[in-house]
Amino acid sequence: MTQNNVYSDATQARGDVIIEVQGVDKFFGDFQALKNINLNVGKQEVIVVMGPSGSGKSTLIRCINRLEKHDAGRIVVDGVELSDDIRNIQEIRRETGMVFQQFNLFPHLTVLDNITLAPRQVRNMPKNEAEEMAMLQLERVKIPEQAHKYPGQLSGGQQQRVAIARSLAMQPKVMLFDEPTSALDPEMIKEVLDAMQELAESGMTMIVVTHEMGFARAVANRVLFMADGEVVEVGTPQHIFENPDEDRTKLFLSQIL
Amino acid sequence: MAVRTETASLRRPSPALRWVRENLFNNWYNSVLTVIFGALFIWVGFSLLRWVFFRAEWEIVRVNLTLFMVGRFPRDELARIWVSNYMIVGAIGLMAGAATASAAAAAKEAGLPFVQSKLQDLIQRFWPVLLLVAALLQFSRTWTPTIMTVGMVVIGVAARFAGLHLPRVIRRYAWVLVALLLIGAYGALVWFGGFGWDDWGGLHLTLFVTVAGIILAFPLGLLFALGRRSTLPLVRLLSVTYIEFIRGVPLITLLLMGAFALKFLLPPGMDLSLVSRLVVAIMLFTAAYVAENVRGGLQAVPKGQTEAGQALGLPAWKVMRLIVLPQALRAVIPAMVGQFISLFKDTSLLVVVGVFELLAVSSIANNQPEFLGKGLAEVTLPFVAVIYWVGAYTMSRESRRLEKKLGVGER
Ligand SMILES: Nc1ncnc2c1ncn2[C@@H]1O[C@H](COP(=O)(O)OP(=O)(O)O)[C@@H](O)[C@H]1O
Ligand SMILES: [Mg+2]
Repeated sequence: MTQNNVYSDATQARGDVIIEVQGVDKFFGDFQALKNINLNVGKQEVIVVMGPSGSGKSTLIRCINRLEKHDAGRIVVDGVELSDDIRNIQEIRRETGMVFQQFNLFPHLTVLDNITLAPRQVRNMPKNEAEEMAMLQLERVKIPEQAHKYPGQLSGGQQQRVAIARSLAMQPKVMLFDEPTSALDPEMIKEVLDAMQELAESGMTMIVVTHEMGFARAVANRVLFMADGEVVEVGTPQHIFENPDEDRTKLFLSQIL
Repeated sequence: MAVRTETASLRRPSPALRWVRENLFNNWYNSVLTVIFGALFIWVGFSLLRWVFFRAEWEIVRVNLTLFMVGRFPRDELARIWVSNYMIVGAIGLMAGAATASAAAAAKEAGLPFVQSKLQDLIQRFWPVLLLVAALLQFSRTWTPTIMTVGMVVIGVAARFAGLHLPRVIRRYAWVLVALLLIGAYGALVWFGGFGWDDWGGLHLTLFVTVAGIILAFPLGLLFALGRRSTLPLVRLLSVTYIEFIRGVPLITLLLMGAFALKFLLPPGMDLSLVSRLVVAIMLFTAAYVAENVRGGLQAVPKGQTEAGQALGLPAWKVMRLIVLPQALRAVIPAMVGQFISLFKDTSLLVVVGVFELLAVSSIANNQPEFLGKGLAEVTLPFVAVIYWVGAYTMSRESRRLEKKLGVGER
């Protein structure tokens, strides 16, 4: 490992590895959505994934919590390898929070019930304790006063922050974000990114699919650039944004800037 | 100036008058239509009222009121029915009270305002039922039913009061009490030398078959809806076959089969009474339609809801029970209640296989020697029709209310 080679340095996770993705392929019918993906994520690391639409970003992070089943390769999360065993899958899902582009809050439940549902049903937490903890999470994302409203009564930015709180309530070791600000009006993007940045600073391991360059520069340890189901390159934000090696990366960056 | 504006505002027609002018008399042909239909409406209304209050010979209903209400239930055992009704009213009152208390407590905990429903709301919701009960009571030739009905109201109010003020710990188990009361209501009719379904009749039997049909058909329909979406091919095939078979057969065919064919299908020792076989037929029929309704609701729940539940680590059945089903069922309340209203009205088909339900009573009354050949079907059929209408209309309104109430999350 040579100090002047930023690229090779940044392809490797630092410290303990918590997510291992090795040689993962994913097919939808004949169409190959992921091609031999390799990625190690270290504890407390923040990885930003970028790439054109359809390049497989969502598919990659959805494979990590088994919303999609990978067809080849290995995925290990916190020492547990994903297999067809439903207990393995449940164990990994309990440790892995996910935030969706469309929030996917449960519209028939209040904000508080959205957050307490999983701790009570999965971790068998008593109601009082779950509600106390939910309020803590809501304070963390700065909307405790919305606890008794229904999702439909909140703005998009507030809904997405509830979704983050809902995931955090399970005390996950890893958080996956799939374009969390893409469905938001511009004036609400910042409040969500701020919540995510605070989460990162608190030491959460995160994989974030986003095209928010400011966020990537400020928070990401590494940026992963994907195209056509492949990882095109991995590096520090400076490296990827200022001096990318690959033409596909350059082209993409010139289009989103 | 000031004087002028004042006179102008004085001349301005009242809002009601303006509405009439803008909506009913806004051009010449609309005015003509308004006059014609207005006259028609007044004439029909007048004739109807004249018929109800002066022309119709209600004697046949007065004489046969008990027959319309309970069919051939032994007359010296009618107390059983009143006891049963008391228990049902008690159960409903208790449930309503406990539910209100829980909702109030939840609202208080959340720091939200809670508006308790008033008597006025109840009257607004159930005025057709109240009018019908009043009409039935005035047909009665003795005071017993009125006294008993007042007793039911008293018990209902008392039970609601009790439900409201149950200690919190006990309130959580109020449903046990409610269930016991309902079982008791059934037992009062059947146990201790009582009478099975085949001896029941009239409106009482109609309501029982309706409620039993709904209670049985709903879970069965739910199972078939889930079965149709199962990942197991065999379960899916069975569900689809069942649903499509039943939906392709007229209800009357199933009822005739229930009456005449099902008996031979049953294993020897097992002997179901006629009414139970028919309830089974109605249940099987309705379940297929409930299944299709629920399937529509399941499809309407976005995939993201399931994924969010899975991502939180909830097992599949909890995702279904806590996230997908509540949303799916809410979406199909109108369709499902429509199905139950059909069931209620279709119980009248039981007349064909010789069951003594409400509609059957009307033809039996018309064949009594003192009324035979007097064309009194023109009295009994409207009477029966109004009872069906009250039931169907109330169900439909309650469904709309429920839909609105649960719709709170959709805002
Ligand atoms: N369930 C699916 N069935 C078929 N094709 C899919 C499915 N999900 C994704 N794809 C395809 O896989 C490719 C990658 O999709 P996705 O991971 O959603 O891309 P991204 O998130 O980078 O925009 C796309 O071409 C998409 O059409
Ligand atoms: Mg995507």
